[in-house]
Amino acid sequence: MTRDVPAVGCSFPRFDARSKVSGAEKFAADAYAPDMLWAGAKRAGIAHGRILAVHTADAESVPGVFRVLIRRDVPGTNRQGIVHKDQPVLAGQKIRHCGEPVALVLAENREALKLALSRIRLDVEPLPGVFDPEAALKPGAPLIHAAGNTLLSAVIQNGDAAKAFPDCDVILEDCFEVPFQEHAFMETENGMAQQKPDGALVMTVSTQAPFRDRMEISHALGLEFSAIRIISPYLGGGFGGKDGATVQCLLALAAMNANGRPIKMWWDREESFVAGYKRHAARLYYKLGAAADGTLNSLECRLYYDTGAYAHLGGEVLELGMEHAGGPYRIPHVLIQGWSVYTNNPVGGAMRGFGVSQVAFAIEQMMNRLAEKLRMDPLALRLKNALGRGDRNSSGVTLVHSTGIISCLKSIKQHPLWLNQADWKARAGRFKRRGVGVCAVFNAMGYGRGLPDSAIAKVELTREGRIRVYGGVSDMGQGNTSAFVQIAGDMLCQEGNQLELILPDTDRTHPCGSSSASRTTYTYGNALIRACQQLKEKLIHRASLVLFLDEPVGLVLLPGRVRHLPSGREVSFSTLAAMLPDSDRMAIDQHVMTVASDGNLNASGFILGFPHAIFSYAAHLAGIEIDALTGGVSVLFYLAVTDAGRIISPQGVEQQVQGAVAQGLGYALCEDVQLRDGKILNPSFTDYIIPTALDVPEVASMTVETVESTGPFGMKGMGEVGMNGPLPVIAGAVQDAVGVWIRQSPVTADRILAALDVNKGVGRKP
Amino acid sequence: MNHVLLPRSLNDLWSAIRDFPEAAVYAGGTDLLVKIRNGSIPPKDLICLERIEALKGVVDHGDRLVILAATTFSQLLQDPAITNRLPVLAKAIACLGSPLIRNMGTIGGNVCTASPAGDTLAPLYILNARVELASENGVRSLPISQFILGPGLTLIETGEILSAIHVEKPHPEAIQHFEKVGRRNALACSLASMAAIIRLTDDGTVLAASLAWGSMGPTVITCPEAANRLIGQPLSLDRLTEAAAIVRKAVCPITDIRATADYRRTIAGNLLLRLCTLQMESS
Amino acid sequence: MSINCKINGKNTEIRGPADRRVVDVLREDLGLTGTKEGCGAGECGACTILVEGEPRLSCLMMAAQLQDQDITTIEGIGEPEALHPIQEAFVEQGAVQCGFCTPGMVLSAVHLLNCYPEADRSRIRRALSGHLCRCTGYVKIVDAVEAAARAMGKEIKP
Repeated sequence: MTRDVPAVGCSFPRFDARSKVSGAEKFAADAYAPDMLWAGAKRAGIAHGRILAVHTADAESVPGVFRVLIRRDVPGTNRQGIVHKDQPVLAGQKIRHCGEPVALVLAENREALKLALSRIRLDVEPLPGVFDPEAALKPGAPLIHAAGNTLLSAVIQNGDAAKAFPDCDVILEDCFEVPFQEHAFMETENGMAQQKPDGALVMTVSTQAPFRDRMEISHALGLEFSAIRIISPYLGGGFGGKDGATVQCLLALAAMNANGRPIKMWWDREESFVAGYKRHAARLYYKLGAAADGTLNSLECRLYYDTGAYAHLGGEVLELGMEHAGGPYRIPHVLIQGWSVYTNNPVGGAMRGFGVSQVAFAIEQMMNRLAEKLRMDPLALRLKNALGRGDRNSSGVTLVHSTGIISCLKSIKQHPLWLNQADWKARAGRFKRRGVGVCAVFNAMGYGRGLPDSAIAKVELTREGRIRVYGGVSDMGQGNTSAFVQIAGDMLCQEGNQLELILPDTDRTHPCGSSSASRTTYTYGNALIRACQQLKEKLIHRASLVLFLDEPVGLVLLPGRVRHLPSGREVSFSTLAAMLPDSDRMAIDQHVMTVASDGNLNASGFILGFPHAIFSYAAHLAGIEIDALTGGVSVLFYLAVTDAGRIISPQGVEQQVQGAVAQGLGYALCEDVQLRDGKILNPSFTDYIIPTALDVPEVASMTVETVESTGPFGMKGMGEVGMNGPLPVIAGAVQDAVGVWIRQSPVTADRILAALDVNKGVGRKP
Repeated sequence: MNHVLLPRSLNDLWSAIRDFPEAAVYAGGTDLLVKIRNGSIPPKDLICLERIEALKGVVDHGDRLVILAATTFSQLLQDPAITNRLPVLAKAIACLGSPLIRNMGTIGGNVCTASPAGDTLAPLYILNARVELASENGVRSLPISQFILGPGLTLIETGEILSAIHVEKPHPEAIQHFEKVGRRNALACSLASMAAIIRLTDDGTVLAASLAWGSMGPTVITCPEAANRLIGQPLSLDRLTEAAAIVRKAVCPITDIRATADYRRTIAGNLLLRLCTLQMESS
Repeated sequence: MSINCKINGKNTEIRGPADRRVVDVLREDLGLTGTKEGCGAGECGACTILVEGEPRLSCLMMAAQLQDQDITTIEGIGEPEALHPIQEAFVEQGAVQCGFCTPGMVLSAVHLLNCYPEADRSRIRRALSGHLCRCTGYVKIVDAVEAAARAMGKEIKP
């Protein structure tokens, strides 16, 4: 680790990079124990049905099988879920999706496990399924849950959209569709658990929410939550797919039946596809009205989000989508209606961009259509309508916090890639067509109103005189824990190699909320700043006592010591640490994220989340080349300009932007969870296509540094906003290149070709 | 627990086959082991060819090359005999799988797997490849177009391995072209591929043409009628367009989760149009 | 069944079924968890090891194939306190985010720079095209290999 004192604002090498690059860092998947058992779930394989019987005798007789559990072996409520607890740990009566777990096998090794799972037989009465959210809302549609197929329906209104349309010079209507998206983290869902003789449970799991997991397990299985210890190592990727119980309840159930032996569950890639959570598929109806000069006036939307068989965070995803449906623009009259609907498809859950990625496509395409209709430059149209600080957004919230979208768009406007685009396009080779697209996107930070977004930070002077940060929020690769170390190091003036980090452990760290919602560095960072300030004052005061000073004045913290500047005398951290009782060597403080104060907002139907107060913004620019013979799209250049407030680690922000753009390009061009009657046809990396190093271009990242005065050192969270740009920007570039309006993603070669008018004389039919 | 045998010589191999007649034979395992894992093939005893030096390498016999079957794709890409004399095959291998897959997978495996999307197959067809099949009783050979019957189906018999592939060296001045269409630029199953060997006269007239398409039917499709349409004229867009229309009638692609039959049929013809850019390169 | 091979320079005897996957032998029997599993089907590269210096997919290798081979895993490339120049470059350039794909990437990069010490970005991308990464978008990984090539080139030159 470096000997430098970290400086906030300067790039700081990731604290975990050395151990990860040498293979030394242990992920949850790397946990093994002597005498360990393996657990695996039997998945239903059909989308909708009534369970008549689960035959486990043939599985139980496989050599090496320890136990086979079914519904009747599940204590407690048998219901897991984050907000709405509707998901069985083991299904007893009904199957609602192909990934539904109906039995749990415990075995000595994976070969026995695999064989036993194949020998479990289900007697099922198939039920007609429904696989489309609008179809699920029709009268007479098969019911997924007894209370009906609507998980949540909501409305946001401002002004009077219906009355405002006739005043518009241009009215455009359209419909957009996006499929489910897979997180495709490299480390699939997994964990290892053990039950102690006193009944306490210890679990190491790849999770974004270790503290909430305890609550979920407790509610599902009837265990005392304080008797559950969850340890959350670095995740090999999360992106929302490990927010909410994946293996946790099944694994806890297994541990309770393992005679005290450690037991491991690790979903293979196919199971991760079949049983894991997904980004919601959606169908989005838009009607946008504007004046002839491009001023937006009225927006009506009907948004149908397919939440699959269980709620997960389906209501909250819808909420955020609805809040962002109008884009980062001023639209005085809006009527936004949304439905989060159950179907027999895989479960829609949290995924980076959380409901926003879907509507960003829609509103940006509407803006592109408007620009074309009005013969306006698409960038100029966006600048004309872009939100500035003090404006009301389309939820009616007054933007009092940093709002940098105009600066982002202006950066693109003066960038050579934008200015030289005509020349660049003209240089396309034989059979190639080039196009340039631009988009404006944003993404709220935090949980919004209705759920306190809080973190409790603890920082400690260890016995050895080092500084230890207790981080209770998971690091799934976004580098938040590195930022924490950087903040502590800067504030306490300690060198990198004197800093320690404790990763989330419900026995050792304090609750800090989930690793999600672009919130962790902001909320935990704010808490940490207060805790570091407390610790600093404490150490200075204690040092003044040791130095027999009249007052604790003139003292500064330096690497490993405190110095009294007037006299030059010092006391080392290790000396101080030896003199202080354990409880005095630490500081604990907390922060709760500020929420919007706006009252009188016209919105109904939401349980929590509405509205949000602080947003990150971005404008993206991309140049693509379409091969007219194959329809294939290559992205030749990509620029993202992001407003993330002040930057704590420039390299950290670049990492997030480049990663989000790559995932967004996958969403735009090649990722598609292909479903037939609720069954995933492509549950593997062979046919679920994520981009390789030969598919993602050089992604340039710039920032416009506003100051988010409520954030640690002026920053705000930005981990998600980059995800929302690629699909709209590619769609815009396709329109620019070949005049084809994209309404459906992914933008695959065959869809382009089907829409293209290839050279005269070359037809499509033989 | 299944056996995995690692014979070091052909004699060892024949013993292994005699002792374990139900065993599956593999070299790289990038197809076979994946199929065993996903249940398409039941677990069984295995015989691995990777240590048999007699099955590796490329031998130059003047007018033809003998490619030994257990040569990995990476080894082939490093062999000047392949890169200089068979660029149509080299180009296909270069876009197969990934570098890791190419370090393990072999040309013999690609042929025996006989996937309709097998990347090496269209080039091997227009190189007039003959497969050599060896057993402890001797050797026989047949044209690749007879050897491969359909998806995953070949005329290989129990006790045999594919030991070598014999290909004709094209004329040194022939243009050798290959294009693969996939859903991404690496680790992509071919949606469509086209291999072409074209000989031009000094003034750019087509003297001879061999064309083959992959992923357009149960096996590689060669369409001599389209190739003949090109002869006697330069490679103009108009001429290629005529030939493209013929090709679209000749191919019989399917709709699967990767692409529709319509799309495949359209690009089968479109890939031919790409040849007019070659005319510019060669002149 | 007993197999003798060399792993990270150490003569190693492996006991167990011949059809055990090499990735499982490494992770479970030898505790070398730096080699990861992301798909089990050769599609992601997370299980990469060097066999006689050449990158291969350990999820598609049987234990029997280890016989007499010289194997290098990520643990044999460097340690947190003594990293290989390529690993140093990964750290410095910000090429490590979640880190799950990283060991495989490093091993392919080691092989690449052995064969092509002056590899350009295009060649680097090609060499890494069998490694899926979901976090970085690849750009900083390419930056790191390029930086490592420069640093190692300076070391070789007198």
